Order: sequence, then C-alpha cells, then structure tokens
Amino acid sequence: MLAYVLRRLLLWIPSVILVMLGVYALAFYGAGDPIKLIFLRAPGDVAYDPSKIEAIRDQAGLNRPFLVQFGSYMLNLVQGNFGNSLTSGRSVWGMVSAAAPVSLMLGLCAIVVTAVVAIPLGMIAGMNQNSRLDYTILGTAVTLWAIPAYVAGPLLMVILLVFLPKGSVPYGWGGVFSVKIILPLIVLSFQPIALILRQTRAAVIEVMNEDYVRTARAKGVPEHVVALRHILRPVLTPVVTQLGLIMITIVNGAIFVELVFGLPGLGRLTVSALTNSDFPVILAITLIGSFLVMASNLLVDLLYPLLDPRAADQKEAR
Amino acid sequence: MKVRNTPQGAVTRRAALQLGLGSIVAATAFGAGARIVIAQEGQVLKAINPAFSQDWSPLRGGGVPFRWNSVWNASAMYFNEKGEIQPYVLTEWTPSADFASWTFKVNPAATFADGSPITAADVKGSWELSAMPATKNQRVDQVLGNVAGYAAVKDGAGTDISGIVAGEDGTLTVTLTGPDPIFFQRLANHIAPVVKVSVARGADGNEVPDFFMAANGATSGPFMLDSANLDTGELVWLPNPNFFGTKPVLARIELTAVEDNVTATQMLASGEYQAHTELVTSTIAQDLGAEFAAGPEIPTSQHFWFNAARAPMDDPKVREALILAVDREGLIKASFPDGPHKKTDMVINAVPGADDAAFVPFPHDPERAKALLAESTYGGPDKLPKLLFVGISSPANEAAAQYIAEQWRQHLGITAVDMKPQQDQYAGPDQNAVQIFRDDVGTRVPDAASYLNGSIGSGSGNAQGKMGGYKNDKVDALIAEALSKPSDDAARVALAQEAQRLFRDDYMFIPWYKQTMSRWANANVAGMEKNLDWQIVAPWAISIA
Repeated sequence: MLAYVLRRLLLWIPSVILVMLGVYALAFYGAGDPIKLIFLRAPGDVAYDPSKIEAIRDQAGLNRPFLVQFGSYMLNLVQGNFGNSLTSGRSVWGMVSAAAPVSLMLGLCAIVVTAVVAIPLGMIAGMNQNSRLDYTILGTAVTLWAIPAYVAGPLLMVILLVFLPKGSVPYGWGGVFSVKIILPLIVLSFQPIALILRQTRAAVIEVMNEDYVRTARAKGVPEHVVALRHILRPVLTPVVTQLGLIMITIVNGAIFVELVFGLPGLGRLTVSALTNSDFPVILAITLIGSFLVMASNLLVDLLYPLLDPRAADQKEAR
Repeated sequence: MKVRNTPQGAVTRRAALQLGLGSIVAATAFGAGARIVIAQEGQVLKAINPAFSQDWSPLRGGGVPFRWNSVWNASAMYFNEKGEIQPYVLTEWTPSADFASWTFKVNPAATFADGSPITAADVKGSWELSAMPATKNQRVDQVLGNVAGYAAVKDGAGTDISGIVAGEDGTLTVTLTGPDPIFFQRLANHIAPVVKVSVARGADGNEVPDFFMAANGATSGPFMLDSANLDTGELVWLPNPNFFGTKPVLARIELTAVEDNVTATQMLASGEYQAHTELVTSTIAQDLGAEFAAGPEIPTSQHFWFNAARAPMDDPKVREALILAVDREGLIKASFPDGPHKKTDMVINAVPGADDAAFVPFPHDPERAKALLAESTYGGPDKLPKLLFVGISSPANEAAAQYIAEQWRQHLGITAVDMKPQQDQYAGPDQNAVQIFRDDVGTRVPDAASYLNGSIGSGSGNAQGKMGGYKNDKVDALIAEALSKPSDDAARVALAQEAQRLFRDDYMFIPWYKQTMSRWANANVAGMEKNLDWQIVAPWAISIA
C-alpha cells in the first residue's frame, strides 16, 4: 500500500512541473503585466510613467529572462518558499494556506451532503423505476440541475435578506459548524446531488437486472438486505469516482458561491489573482489544485478495494 | 464528629471552590455589564467594501483602500467639501516670489498614534517613501512631480528627494523644478499621507510591511487600524487616543468585504450595514434613496475618448460624425436615469472656469453626422473598420456604450461595434486596434489649468495613451501659459477656457457625465461627505442617528 502511494506521488511530480511550466509561460508571455495593471486599471488620473514601471519591474525581478525566472521560482518552491504576491506584497503561502482550508472544508461538507442526500434518493428512484415516486425524485433532480450556482446564490441571498430580521443573514465564513455554511452548502450541492442521484439511479436499474440480485430475491432475502448488500455495493464504485471528481470541481471552482456568500476560499483568490495577473498566486493555486486532483484520485483508488474486493485482487495481480 | 486537619488560616477546598465560583460569576456579570456599557456608549459604523482588498498600506495612492485613507491618516492639508483648502499637518505655506520654492510650517501639536510628535523629517520621509518605486504609489506624481530630485527617487536611482529640506524648527522647504503657483494645493490630499518614518521606512528606504497597524502607532489620523483580516476581508478601526484634531464620535468602524453588488445593496437597504466604499449601479437612487448617493460635484468627469492614431478615428470627419450622431441627453438617461451624476458638455467640471458661456456644446445633429460620414475618406458606414470600445466595466458603462452603439446604428448605419472591459480582453491584433476608451479625467486641485493639463495636454497620460498621442500646439501653449499664472489671477481661468474651446474643435471625445462624489451612506449616517480627493472630509464627525 505504502509503495503504491509513494509511486503515485513520484508520478505526480513530473506532471506538476509540466503544468507549472505551462502556467508560468502563459503568465509570462500573456497580455497581462501585473505591474502595468496596477496603474492601467486604476481610474483615469493615475500617472502611467513607463520609467517608474520599469523600476518596479526591475526591483521585482520581472525583467529577467523567462527560464531564469522560472528556475528561480522552482528553486524557491523546493525550499518551501512560494514567494510574495506581485500586487499586494503578501506572502503567497499565507494567502493560499488561509484560503485552501475554507474551500476544502466546504468541498468536503458538500460531498457529504451530496452523498447523504443523493445516494439514498437514487436508490429509491432506481428501485421504483417509472413509478410516481421515481418521476418526482427525478423531476426534482432535473430542476435542481437546471439552476446554476450563479443564479441560485444571489437569489437565495436576496430572499433571505428581504425576509430574515436584520443581522441574522448568514454571510462570510464561520467554520463548518456555523449556520453560515448552510446556504453555500445548499447552493453548492444542487448540481452534484442531481448528478449523483441520476447516476445512482441508472446504476441501480442496471444492477437490479443482475443474476445475483434475482437469485437473492428468489432465496427470499429481505428487500432491504438485497438493496443494501447486493445492490448498493456495486453501485457505489462508479459513484465514489464521480464524487471524487465533484470534490475537485467544488474545491477549485466554487467561484460564484464564494463571491455571493463572502467565503474567503480558493475560488475567490483565483479570480483576484487572474484579474491582476498575479502569477505567483496563480502558480500556488495551480500547485494546490494539481495536488488535490492527485490526492482525490488516490483516495478513490484506495477506497475501491473496500467497496469491491475484486479491485484489490486486480491491484495485487498488477 | 469530623475533624478537619487543615492548618489554621489555610484556605479549605470548599472555600477555594466557592471563591472560584464567585470569581466566575463576578467576571461574567462584569463582562456582560461592560458589553452593555460599550454597546450604549459607542457608535459603530458598519461599512461594506466591494473587494477583498489585499493591500491596505495608506501609501498606495489608489485602489479601493485609498478611499478610507482620511479615516486613519493625516495629510499635509486637505480640501473640504466646498473645495476650500484646510490646514492639517502643515499649517502655513509661503511661496517664493517666482513660485519655484515653497516653505511650510509643521503643526506643532501634530502627533502620531503613539503620541510622538510629527516632525518635518517625518513629512519629508513620508513623501520620499511614497515616491519609491517599490511603494507602487499610483498618484504620487500629482503631488511631487514638480519637486526637484523626485524623478531620481521614483526611477529607483535614489532614496532622498534633494529638493525637500526638513528643518529642526518644523519648517519644510520645497524647491521645484519650475514655478508652480498652486503647488500648495497639490499637497492637499491623501495620496502621500504623513506616517512615522522611523517605523515605516526600512534601512533600504523602502516600506516596512504592516507598519500601519495600530500596535506600531505610526499613523496619524483620527482612527487607527486595529485589526485587518485580509483573508476574510474584515477590518476594524478604533479611535486614535493621541489624535491631534477633533475627538472622533464613533467608537469603532467595521469594514466587511461584500463583492456582490446585489447582496451589498440588500444589506444596506435592510440597515444591516450603513455605508459602502464605492457602490456604482444604475439603480442606486431607486434602491437606496437619493440621499445615499448624494454628494458634491467633484472635478472629475467621464467621457468616451477617441484614439486619433487609429482608423477610422484618424479622419476628423468620422470623429465629428460619431459625436454628432449621439443624443447625449438620451445617453445620461440611459446610464444614470435618477442621478447622482449629471450630463456634461465639456472636459472641466466643478472648478472655477467650468461655467464657460462661450463654450458651444456638441449638438445632436444626425443629418449633419450622416453627411460628414459620407464626406469622409471612408465614404460611409460600410468601409469603416469595426469600432472597438474598452473600459466598459460596469452596468452603467455598458448601458452608455450600448446606447452610443445604437445611436450610430440608427443614424449612421454602423453595425460593427464591439466592447470589452479591458484592452487585453481583445484577442490578437484587435488589442492594438481599439479606438474608443471610456475613462475619467480629473484633478485633485480646484484648478481648470491643472485639470486640462492632466487630461488634454500633450504630456498627459490621457492624451498619450487614450487619445493616441494627441497634440495641439495651441492648446499646449495656452495651458502652459495658464499654469504659470497665480491661482487668483483671472487670466489663469480665461486661458484654460480658451484651450478647452480649441480642444473641442478637434472632436476627440463624446462627453458623458460630471461626477458626483457620493456619500455612499444611509440617511441616518451623518458626516460622510467627501471631497475632490474622494476622501471623507471630516471622519471625526461621522455619527449615526
């Protein structure tokens, strides 16, 4: 197991270096110069003085050749130094380490909510295929699917602000156990719930036609045991894979939700860094995103043998 | 009978427990009481910031945090809401006969938040610190651009501005590169506020990170920045106990980042928050009341500038046609139907000379516009290259640009128009083909000549960048002559007006609106009036009814 994890980590390193090189090249050769943008994006009476801008670029080391800059960045990175933001001067590690836990906790909670709501509902819908209950559940899921976060978020916020008493509207970040997390979680979970629900339902319908399920029923095994022991386990394998992918999407990209509910997570930081072409921050976020993808895939891989013992046999055979 | 073996005079376990319990109860009661007292005695202003601003140094001279500078920093002087100059850290100013040298006197009562006196060396050092390239101050050129020795510092070639001499007796002598009769006015803003140099400036002459936090006592305004959680976007200011001016009314100012304008508007409407840093929406007056957005006109105006170096703006007839085709009454109604901003016809506003009776506004004349386009080298709308706007970065900007495009379609038959917030959002060669820039121009001094010098003078960033190197020698000469006149000389205004009239005939812009400096505060908040420096004029007077 440990060797497997280490092998995965080692394989991750070259891919992340390539990704970082690509992102650095885009930032370096792209249109947005972070120093010029400080002056260009301000209102009209700002003095845009080329010689001053060059002096600032010189001091920030931005006038060095591409490979020198990238090499220096990677060298610092290996030593645990993520550098400073080009626009605010803050430590990039400080910014990212403050934002990542918020997104991670939010993402994990959203996954838990999604799994707790979507899997049972998907099971019920699948086991009652084409019934009124199935249509109701599926119809609700499709409706939720159709509401994007950038519509649901502001809409819910406005409704709450209008109807809740002053001072009680949840806004900002108060941690996992705060009421402030409820609304972002609802909005974030809308689409994943619909996705997982539909996938669970489809998988249940497929598994229900398997011989072993028919045999179990023929043997008089109670229906709840059939559902939990013979249907749920094979259904979970693809669903867990999907949950892993959803987790990455939520952690890296809950931009609108973070914006509307004032959550200081990675999504908001990404928008701000991209807007300002602040590439030390962009690179740190890329690194974290890449690590999360790898970690999430690893976690899913490690979960497979627990859900399906045949996966463990295959892994050992490899 | 139970015999206790406790030595006489020692505290028993029961007594200790009783004492502990009693202490807890007393502390709780005291704490609750204290909280009630704080709640009753202190007024708290809760304000919204539209961004998770990551840099709150008061020395940046721009950005969203700059709007709060006067709350916690003292400047050399400042303008009140009527545009009258007021002493602050500097109390007296005297020019030399040729206006090339100025002597200032530091307020002997002025102190930093730690109680230490503000010296002339602190003022000089603060200006030098703002000039250093690493400080990235966006507007320090407007303050110190004429000072001898400034250029070397801003280009990174030195740390000392040779033209500023700080005397031990609290005098400050500033030598300029040339005469400037209104130099004293250029200092009356919060672009380069006064900070305690021994704390704020490192050995290399650059800024020390976080020098501005309350614990360092290095700022000098009515409030101090007590805490700043940049990750959650929450800041708190408390009154500065050593402020040398009027004692502030508020007990606390809390600023929270709310990026979404819809959410922010609702929070303000519900009364949960009372003020905003800068809320720009087309429906602000309907949503939050006229009082919220009310304020004085400031010498800043928004226009659509033509880049005459790029086709088809290189043809004056095309430029004239594009201007005359737009009904500018309709333009302001489309963008700010209920205010607070008002239509303008000219570049300069809210300064002496802005009421020029001889200035002829551009008429709305679609027939003439059509004829001009036909007479132009392009012969009509079909051969015109696509017209590209940038600076279309807010709902109001969008409404205005869309309105202009629609007027061109209706009156001139032009259909190829595109618009983006930033120039770098156009792909490929289009980036260098943008012909129309929406942007504001203005000044931090109530002076028409300075206003024009910074917006249409050939040396201005606006002329060089947005107007594609615009240069009219007659306009330049008139502005230069105006700038050389004393501020109270009527010729200064007359020459500036003449320059503006000449500029008008070059057809370089579509005038849009003159800016109101909104309070951005609910009606129950008093003292939020702002000045031409975009600052709250008297933060110490802010109170909540």
